Amino acid sequence: MPRLRALAASFRHQATMFIAEPQWLIPNIIAPFIFTMVVLMLFKEPGPDALLYAVLGGGMMGMWGNTLYASGFSIQSDRWWGTSDAIFGAPSPLIWIIGGRTLWNALVGILNGLFVLVVVVLAFQMPFQVNDLPLFVLSFVTTLLSLAALGMLFSAAFVLTRSAQVMTNGLEFPIYVGTGTMFPIALLPLWTSPLSLALAPTWGIDAIRYAAIFDYDQGLWAGFWGDMLAMCVLSIVYLLVSVWLYKIVDKKARETASLTRY
Amino acid sequence: MLNDGEGKVSVSEDVVIDVKGLVRKYQSNSGILHQKKKETVAVDHIDLEVKRGELFGLLGPNGAGKTTTIKVLTTLLLPTQGSVRILGYDIVKDSMEVRKHIGLILGGERGLYYRITARQNLRYFADLYGVPMSIRDKRIDEVLAKVNLTDKADTRVEDFSRGMKQRLHIAKGIIHDPELIFMDEPTMGLDPQAAREARELTKDLIASGKTILLTTHYMFEADELCDRIGVITRGKIVALNTPSGLKSLVRDTSVIEVEGFGITNVDIDALKALAGVRTVSANMSEDKQVLRVQTGDASTLLTGVTHALQDRKIIGMRIKEPTLEDAYLWLVREDA
Repeated sequence: MPRLRALAASFRHQATMFIAEPQWLIPNIIAPFIFTMVVLMLFKEPGPDALLYAVLGGGMMGMWGNTLYASGFSIQSDRWWGTSDAIFGAPSPLIWIIGGRTLWNALVGILNGLFVLVVVVLAFQMPFQVNDLPLFVLSFVTTLLSLAALGMLFSAAFVLTRSAQVMTNGLEFPIYVGTGTMFPIALLPLWTSPLSLALAPTWGIDAIRYAAIFDYDQGLWAGFWGDMLAMCVLSIVYLLVSVWLYKIVDKKARETASLTRY
Repeated sequence: MLNDGEGKVSVSEDVVIDVKGLVRKYQSNSGILHQKKKETVAVDHIDLEVKRGELFGLLGPNGAGKTTTIKVLTTLLLPTQGSVRILGYDIVKDSMEVRKHIGLILGGERGLYYRITARQNLRYFADLYGVPMSIRDKRIDEVLAKVNLTDKADTRVEDFSRGMKQRLHIAKGIIHDPELIFMDEPTMGLDPQAAREARELTKDLIASGKTILLTTHYMFEADELCDRIGVITRGKIVALNTPSGLKSLVRDTSVIEVEGFGITNVDIDALKALAGVRTVSANMSEDKQVLRVQTGDASTLLTGVTHALQDRKIIGMRIKEPTLEDAYLWLVREDA
C-alpha cells in the first residue's frame, strides 16, 4: 500500500506541477501539433490514411516527449528545486515515485493525441474513420503504457546523471524515427531493424495502424495480435529491468552522492 | 546487544544515534584522456552517541564534514567504513525503516516546490512519508499552525519570504512526526526575527520529546540551544562536551575585542605575529571591522595591539571573557 500511495501521490503531484507551469504546453502540446500540421501539408491532397498517419505520428510524438520528460526531467527538476534529498530520503522506493510521475505524463499524452486529432480533423475537413474502434482504443492505451515502461527504463540512468536533460533531448528524435512514428520502419536501413524491433512502441504503433487503417498492408509480419504480444512482452521486460536497475541506482547514488549534486 | 528479529538492535534504549568509526570518502575524476582519480576523506573515523531527548550540536568550519555526516546519518549517503545505528536500525541494511522515524530540515532557499502552495507541498511529503490517510489533512493543519503559516497555507511558496520558507522547511521535516530530527543550518541567511522564530520552534520540538541533531555556524545559537556539542574539523571530531565544558577549554584565555574602520588582512597578520597572541578572528564587513584577539594575558598585550593598529580608526577596545566562539576558534584554529 505505501508503494501505491507513493505512486498515486506522485501522479497527483506531477499533475499539480504541470498545471502550475503552463510553459509545458509548448513541448507537450504545441510542438507535436505543429509537427503534425507540417507532415500533413507535405501531402498535396491528404486522404484519410495520411491523416491517420500524421495524427498518430503527432500524438505518439507528444506521448513519447511527455514520458521522456517525466522520467528524465522530473528528477532533474528535483535537483534544481533542492527537493531531491527529501524525495530520495523518503521511506517510499524511488521507482514508485518516478512511476507515478511517468503515468501522469503518459495521460497527458492521450489528451495531447486527442487535441491533435480534433484540430486536424477540423482544419482539413476530413471525417475521422478507424477500422476497428475497440481494438484501436486497446492498442492505443497499451502503447501508451509501453511508452511509460520504456521511460522507466531510461529514468534509472537519469537518476545518476546531472546531464539528464541533455540525454532527454538526445533520445527524443531517435525514438520517433526508430519506432516508425511518422513512416514505416521498412524505409530505414536494414541494420536499424533490430534496434527498432527491440522498442515496444514500434510494435504498438504498428498495432494501432492495423486497428485504425482499412486494408493496412505495410505492417509488420506479426499482425495485430502478434504486435500486441510483442509489445506486452517487451514492456514487462523493461519493467523488470527497471526494478533491477533502480536497486543498483539506489546503491550507486548513495555511494557517489550523484543524486544531490546539480 | 539484542536483536528483536526485525533488524532493530537495542544497544541502549536511550541511545538514538550510535556512530562507530564512521569514515566517508569521495572519489572525483579530473582530466579527459588521462583521467586522475582523487580521493577526499570528508569524514574520518567519527565516534558519536546521541541520547533520546537531547539537542546535539555539530559545529565546524565550511568543508569540515558536517553535512556529509548528516547525509550519512539520514541514509542519503553510504558510509565507506564504520557502523551507524539510528534508533537501533542499521542505516545500510534498514534504510527504509530509518527513514520512517527521522526528519531532515535544511536551511537555505531551496528544498521546496515553489510553484505550488504550502499545503500542496506538505500533502505530497505527507503521502511519501507515510502519514496515515485518516489523519493526513488534520496533521497538515496542525503543523501549519505550529509554524504559524495557517493563513498562508494556500499561497504559492514562490510568494513566501525567506523566513516563511524556513518555517515551511520545518513543517515539511516534522510532517510525519519523526522521533529524531536532523537540522542542517536551519537559521542560515535568516533575519534576526526569523532566526529567533526558528530557534523557538526548535526549543518547542525538544520540549515535545524529540531528539535533534543540529549543525550551525552561529555560536550563540549553539550555546543557547544545545545540550552537548561536537566540534568537527577536517572530518574529525576534535572536541565533544557541553557548551560550558567547551568554554572551560579556554578559561585561561582572555579576549581583546577591537572595533574599528580600515582594518585590513595585513593588520590581522601583524596581530597574529605579536608575542602572546593565540588566535585572531575577524568580522570584516565593509563599514566596520570587529577583531577578537585571544591571549593568555590581555592587559600585557593591550599596548602591542594598540601599536599595531595605530594608523587605523579604532572606535572601541575591550577585554572580554571567552565565549563558546573563542573555544570553537581555538579548536579549529588550523582551519580558521
